[in-house]
Amino acid sequence: MRISLKNVSHDYGPSDESSSVHVLDDVSLDIASGDFAVLMGASGSGKSTLLNLIGAVDRPTSGQVFLGDVETSALDEGKLTQLRRTSMGFIFQFFNLIPTLNVFENVAFPLSLAKRPKREIAERVNEVLGRVGLQHRATHYPNELSGGEMQRVAVGRAVVHRPPLILADEPTGNLDSTNGAKILDLIRELHGSLRPTIVMATHSDVAAGYGDYIVRMLDGRVQR
Amino acid sequence: MIVRALVLRPILREKIRTILTILGIAVGVAVVVAIQLANQSALRAFRESVDAIAGRANFQIVPDTDTLDERVLLGLHPLWSEGARFAPVIDVEGVIQGAGDRAQGAGAEPPSPAPRALRPAPSSRPIRILAVDLLSDLHFRDYRYARIETGAKNDELGQYFALFGPDALILPAPYARERRLGIGSRVELSILGRRHTFVVRGLLESEGPATAFNGAIGVCDIATAQRAFGLQGKLSRVDLMLPDESLASRIRLPPGTRIERPSRRNERVEKMLRAFRVNLFALAGVALLVGMFLVYNTVLISILRRRKDVGVLKTVGTAPRQIFFAFLAEGLLFGLIGSALGIVLGHLLASGILRTVGRTINALYVTTRPETVTLTPGVIALGVAVGTILSLLSALQPALEASRVRPTAMIRPGLQQRIAHPRRLAVLAVVCFLAGALISRLPAIGGIAVAGYVAVLFVVAGFSLLAPAIVRATSRVFAPVLERAFGIVGRLAAVSLPASLRRTSVASAALSLATGMMIAVALMVGSFRETVRIWVDQTVSSDLWLRPSKGLTNSQVALFRAEVGEAARKLPFVADVDRVRGREMVYGDTIIAVGSADFGVAEKRGLPMVTPRSARTALENARKRNGVVVSESFSLKFGKRVGDTIELAQQRLPITGIYRDYSNDRGVVVMDRPLYVRTFDDDAINTIVVFLKPGITVDQARRMLESDFGPKYNAFVVTNGEVKTEVMRIFDQTFMITYALLGVAIVVAVLGIVNTLAALILERSRELALLRIGGLSTGELRTMIVLESTLLGVASTAAGLVMGYALSWILIYVINKQSFGWTISFYTPVTLIAASLAVTLLSSTLAGLAPARLAQRIDIASAIKSE
Repeated sequence: MRISLKNVSHDYGPSDESSSVHVLDDVSLDIASGDFAVLMGASGSGKSTLLNLIGAVDRPTSGQVFLGDVETSALDEGKLTQLRRTSMGFIFQFFNLIPTLNVFENVAFPLSLAKRPKREIAERVNEVLGRVGLQHRATHYPNELSGGEMQRVAVGRAVVHRPPLILADEPTGNLDSTNGAKILDLIRELHGSLRPTIVMATHSDVAAGYGDYIVRMLDGRVQR
Repeated sequence: MIVRALVLRPILREKIRTILTILGIAVGVAVVVAIQLANQSALRAFRESVDAIAGRANFQIVPDTDTLDERVLLGLHPLWSEGARFAPVIDVEGVIQGAGDRAQGAGAEPPSPAPRALRPAPSSRPIRILAVDLLSDLHFRDYRYARIETGAKNDELGQYFALFGPDALILPAPYARERRLGIGSRVELSILGRRHTFVVRGLLESEGPATAFNGAIGVCDIATAQRAFGLQGKLSRVDLMLPDESLASRIRLPPGTRIERPSRRNERVEKMLRAFRVNLFALAGVALLVGMFLVYNTVLISILRRRKDVGVLKTVGTAPRQIFFAFLAEGLLFGLIGSALGIVLGHLLASGILRTVGRTINALYVTTRPETVTLTPGVIALGVAVGTILSLLSALQPALEASRVRPTAMIRPGLQQRIAHPRRLAVLAVVCFLAGALISRLPAIGGIAVAGYVAVLFVVAGFSLLAPAIVRATSRVFAPVLERAFGIVGRLAAVSLPASLRRTSVASAALSLATGMMIAVALMVGSFRETVRIWVDQTVSSDLWLRPSKGLTNSQVALFRAEVGEAARKLPFVADVDRVRGREMVYGDTIIAVGSADFGVAEKRGLPMVTPRSARTALENARKRNGVVVSESFSLKFGKRVGDTIELAQQRLPITGIYRDYSNDRGVVVMDRPLYVRTFDDDAINTIVVFLKPGITVDQARRMLESDFGPKYNAFVVTNGEVKTEVMRIFDQTFMITYALLGVAIVVAVLGIVNTLAALILERSRELALLRIGGLSTGELRTMIVLESTLLGVASTAAGLVMGYALSWILIYVINKQSFGWTISFYTPVTLIAASLAVTLLSSTLAGLAPARLAQRIDIASAIKSE
């Protein structure tokens, strides 16, 4: 899925010019379909905000965001929900699994929402759990897993419905280096086999090395 | 500083939850305040009337029955020289005809008798008549005349002469003005079965006795009253002003009289109403108890939401005591604000409740005409005390928990979700149920079913302890059902309830309690109604009733003279008449009803008996041995059985039977008419029960009676069906307030669900945001929250239904029996129960809508940003 941002700015806080915080300032960016792009920058540089805008979780104050040919910044909430449901997978720093569902159910969540047949869900989830190495943990609940395991579940959940776009926000930020490396290997491997567009925000040079290229950010702007 | 950080700022930030909690307490306090105000006003109106009529008297000589011989005054004369003053008084209730008809102008002639007896009710209204010696009575009561009819003599004294005329009546000026009566207006009074036309000769300013009974009082000279109402030589009482209380012991009282302070009557009435008032309070308490759950939940949620802050504060050195007091302060703050709001709300509510309570007290106990509700410092103190003490108590446990937990544990999420072991809770619940069952067997204390109320509390506690298990079981049972119907959304809803068990189970316990009480009362009232309906069917077997007033209530103020009964008996189409007479009487330190009927007729027609089973045996024995039959409530209240004797009007009367009577809870003693007439020297009749000969229809008989007895004796003819309908109407009116109070409890409980779900939404905002990012639409999110509240409703309703049956058992067989002495047969009013359950379920479903809107408004980007 091709991503295109045109003159995107984003402010937080009141609409009053003087007191609002400019998080993104006139950002234009193109990421080709199937790319593994890495957003790098210090804390507060606007990486997560940019990721949120691409993921249609937030709307830009000005400018346009395109996913493929669709201008997401112009879609209503219902269409955005549909888009997130079918076309995106998210991986977060703090795993963000649903605590009331077990590993299998967490991974199956996007397929359940799409009301896929039970058999198909079981097949796909088992396949994904196999790939992330957690088949033996299928019936466990998130609070029974280690950090690395939780993030592997999150990765499984992000790819199970084979979305054309995966967004990862500091996916190794809360893991030790060994587990971090395992997760990055997994993401890289999935990119190789499924070929989704991946946008990963990180401030780690090691993590950045896993991407096809790096987009550096500083004070809300993209460094050319 | 700690209070600001932990309590004040979060309270201000979480406005919805704060408002809901305060509202919950306010509604609970409002109900208690309103009931207290209404009760107080009803009693105050009565007390003020008694005081206003008693004037400066510090003692009274009163008869055990209605009247005493005026010769009692002769025995008092020797005390005059020692400063004692005495005033003979006739104080009777009656009916004023024609007053209140606005078409009737001042000085107009009274309306001619209507062609039919059933005249419009407004033209006959109850009035209190105070007849005194107008000259000597000035020592006792203040009469300020607004206007007096000027007599022939114009000197200072001569102008009062008109007041002593044989037809002179003095009315309070506002009362006369309202009814367009003036000096010279003619009004007809019907007192003790006698009708007499009076002329208004004087008008009183609104002070002293003129203020009693909201001014519905007429004053006349005692000689006039004795002549007009057939009370020659009789008095209602003698008012006394004794400078030295020891003089009271020197008064030689004739048999059947006592000397007492005027306040004794108030005390007796208060005692008579005690069970009724306690019952109302207990119901108001339900709303308050539900409010307590709300405070408990709010403080608990506050602690869970701020556990990290608590952990941090503890880590940097805050003492556990400070944490404890900070959360206790939160409870106190909610309590104070809720109480203040509750007092204002309660004051507004009280006028509405007063109308209902006043009607019930009038219908079942004493005549009182309360009109205004006054907020007294006592009631304000009660509201504040109830609201704050209960809020503090509710906050105690969570505050204690917060202060005890180690800082590291506070920071680690999820720990506070855990609750005590389910098996331990279940064992505790069983202990509560057993304790409730044992306590319910204890006897009443001072006529109040204390053990019953305590047993109710134990049952409620038992069910509250089971709440977590009930919520968990409901979730387990419904998870597959909801998943099949709503997919992943249904499953998420089902599993989220046990995930926040501590919060959801408290909300569920509160709703279970409100539902349980609603069901219990519906069962109790339904059973009682059915019992009364069957009783009325058995008791009202006659064809027609002849009555001197239209309504059943206040029937004691209008009477027939004995000859009306004789005249009815002689009618060619009448087979039998039963002449019923009832009156109130002091018995021991309380008031009972004493009545008479023609036992010969009753033997043939039957009476619903407790012991012996045969009414004929009981009534025959009563006739032969000059005995009485007593109501079940009398038997229970005074511990009297068949074979015991009771002393009434200096006579020892054996009890030959106990019968069922749901018409009053004071206790009724009934005797054969000849014995009654002999004992009380009273041959008046309240109601003539008419049994028709075969061959005449009720309609024909009614027409004939109306055309003959209507104008002649001012009689109203009522059919069997009309009596039954009226009894049921009075019954329903009495219990209306019960339903209203429980409705309030349900509202508070639903507020609890809204509050809990709103809190859960705030707490789960991150999780919900993630679901939204994962593709859950706003519609699906709404469905999920509404399903959660519905499921909570299902758990609570199911528990409430079972609790309701348990509580109704206590209400019917313990509380009702001990408070009122009534045996009620169990009956399930299916429609009412189904409707109550439907209301609770629907309310809980609707309760999910507001939090669902809150969930829809969650800003996804900010929610996932905050870690």
